[in-house]
Amino acid sequence: MKENNSLFSETGRESLWKRYIKDIPDDGYFLTLSCILGALYPGSEAMIPKVYDLFGLNWGTNPRPESGWSCCSGIAYHGDIMPIEGTLLTVARLWSIAQEIGVDTITMSCVTSFGIHCECRDLYENEPGLKEKIDRLLKQSCGREFEIPKYILHTSDVFYHYRNQLRDNFMKFQLIDKKTGTPLNVVDHVGCHYSKLFPEEHSLGGSEYCEVLSGMATAWGGKEIDYPERRHCCGMGFRQCMISPNRAGTMASVHKKMKSMSPFQPDLIITNCPGCQVFLDKEQWAIYEITGKKYFIPVLTYQEVAGILMGWDPYGVVGIQFHTVPVEPLLDKIGTPYNPSEAWLGINKRQVY
Amino acid sequence: MTKTMKKFDLKNQAFPGQETPGKNGSNELPLPDHIQDIKDSCPWFQRDFNLSEKDREVIRKYLDGLTDDEIIEIYYRMRDKKELWDGGYFYPNLQILFGTPFEREKDRREQKIWNEEYGESEVVKWYKEAKEKPCVWWLENHIIARHSLNSCMSCGACTALCPAAEFLDYNPRIIMETVQGKNEDAITQLLKSDTIWYCFQCGSCKTKCPRKNNPFGMISSLRQLSQIKGYHVYSIRGRQQYAARHLWGGNLWNRACTLYFRNIEVKTHRDFGPRHELCFNHKEEYFRKIGACPDMDGLLSGRKVHPETLHELRRLWQAGGALYLWEHIEDSAKKQADESGITIDEYHDKVKTEG
Repeated sequence: MKENNSLFSETGRESLWKRYIKDIPDDGYFLTLSCILGALYPGSEAMIPKVYDLFGLNWGTNPRPESGWSCCSGIAYHGDIMPIEGTLLTVARLWSIAQEIGVDTITMSCVTSFGIHCECRDLYENEPGLKEKIDRLLKQSCGREFEIPKYILHTSDVFYHYRNQLRDNFMKFQLIDKKTGTPLNVVDHVGCHYSKLFPEEHSLGGSEYCEVLSGMATAWGGKEIDYPERRHCCGMGFRQCMISPNRAGTMASVHKKMKSMSPFQPDLIITNCPGCQVFLDKEQWAIYEITGKKYFIPVLTYQEVAGILMGWDPYGVVGIQFHTVPVEPLLDKIGTPYNPSEAWLGINKRQVY
Repeated sequence: MTKTMKKFDLKNQAFPGQETPGKNGSNELPLPDHIQDIKDSCPWFQRDFNLSEKDREVIRKYLDGLTDDEIIEIYYRMRDKKELWDGGYFYPNLQILFGTPFEREKDRREQKIWNEEYGESEVVKWYKEAKEKPCVWWLENHIIARHSLNSCMSCGACTALCPAAEFLDYNPRIIMETVQGKNEDAITQLLKSDTIWYCFQCGSCKTKCPRKNNPFGMISSLRQLSQIKGYHVYSIRGRQQYAARHLWGGNLWNRACTLYFRNIEVKTHRDFGPRHELCFNHKEEYFRKIGACPDMDGLLSGRKVHPETLHELRRLWQAGGALYLWEHIEDSAKKQADESGITIDEYHDKVKTEG
């Protein structure tokens, strides 16, 4: 009999992993968008429907123009100006629209939203009478009815689900250094409200070994880089970043992460949370101004990485001009063609500078 | 699966009034000519950081002289003015109205009217009763507080990995101990302090608690209580909620998103660097270039929200107690501003910048 020297048996590993995976339906998605991503990286938001359409998926955002998606009110809830009942009602309305569309899978591009939807479902499951109360209030206020959706997915779950098909059918490039042929070093930063709130129920891989981003990065040719502060929060902190005098806490958190990851020479940071994306990217400038240290590691959303590898126009589709840390050095490594003189052109290539 | 699903409408063709796209006109953003004259001569369309003390006096005098109906009517007449741009309707006045003392005054008055018109929901009645009860009662009855604490053994795992505790004078373990101690005076003192406002709300503590407690949920509940009781104005970080109420609350109430793409102004976001400035100066062009709908009918990014969608959401926020909470934050701010001998607009800027 062959001796098994591995720390965990394969069956044990399989059974552990099953605790941290979730069902991802292939099709039929209600999409709600993000107020942060749409405000700062609109290209990332616009690429979600483009990718859904690549696969010919059945999806929608609203059945009628007047029955539109809204923000989930999550920032207001975590920023403490929205009582939980207001958020439960806002989310119930979104679930009601999904029902109107005829789907039971919600996909949202925002990690705060993802956490909020999961929290609402958790409260309904654990608070007797809450569903009836919110049913009553929703009906009284706007005549709607809702059911708790079967699947709550972040859009990064969907990209993860389709990662191999994206690579095999649509990607023209890989996360490989064109000159050396070696995989690029990819650092993932998974949003806290994706992996830490309900790690067993809703996060692919749990909070410690969350695979949603690293799974995409490795499938697309990159090398997953571990580093000590990998799971540290970016410091966005809702009221900490958005009320200017508090933003030092955000900067300090980003600085801590940069110091920790830089010895591993990352070529890029990949994110799935709009808030993390903003501050990991933008605060690198503040850190440079304050300390003189140029980290300048490109920070990209998973949509942007996918778009670049598919050869989509970096300025006209992906929107890399919205980044504080220039993404062009990464494009050079990958070997994606781009025309730097088009970076700051407006609509129809109008000269605005 | 029903067949009512619509594909993403990047060109806004499904929206009313969009049936005849193609009359694009120029690539230039429409200049709001009919407003430009007013804008230049009237300071109430300026951002707060551009206003002098004299401007503020003019604005306050002007706003105080308007009836509720007048201010609301002017706001919506301006908001709904539209121009054709790049194959869709662009609403040039959204940017002029947002974040101004004018919009804040409109919101205050309009929300009072909504509260009177739709009455007290069962949620508002609960919060009103809770306001008069001891803090300990809240902790035993508020849904988030109840679900956040099983029994803390004070191991400190939450604090060991808390990102806020690393940089600020903040300790979630002590907060959980104080809550568990059920001492009314100690809890009141906590609610009046800066401490509860330091939490990043990241949830790192929830994952690691061996007793499945949820410290960040408890802190969220404490922050609500602090505002319901009016204790938040006792601390610098707490009274920032007045700015938050108008920042996120103003965006929700008027644009159905807690963040609006014009919020990231260069003047208040110097830390975002020079490329942000390049982008922000022509943001509408760059948004449109990648298919977004900046202040336009549509679905993507900072779009003009359909009035019926906005109306539904406002009803929900009223029923869900948000307007009650906002009115409360407003009253506490007004009281403190009066005590300090400053106007409510000066108070708004003070709390937004101090700390």
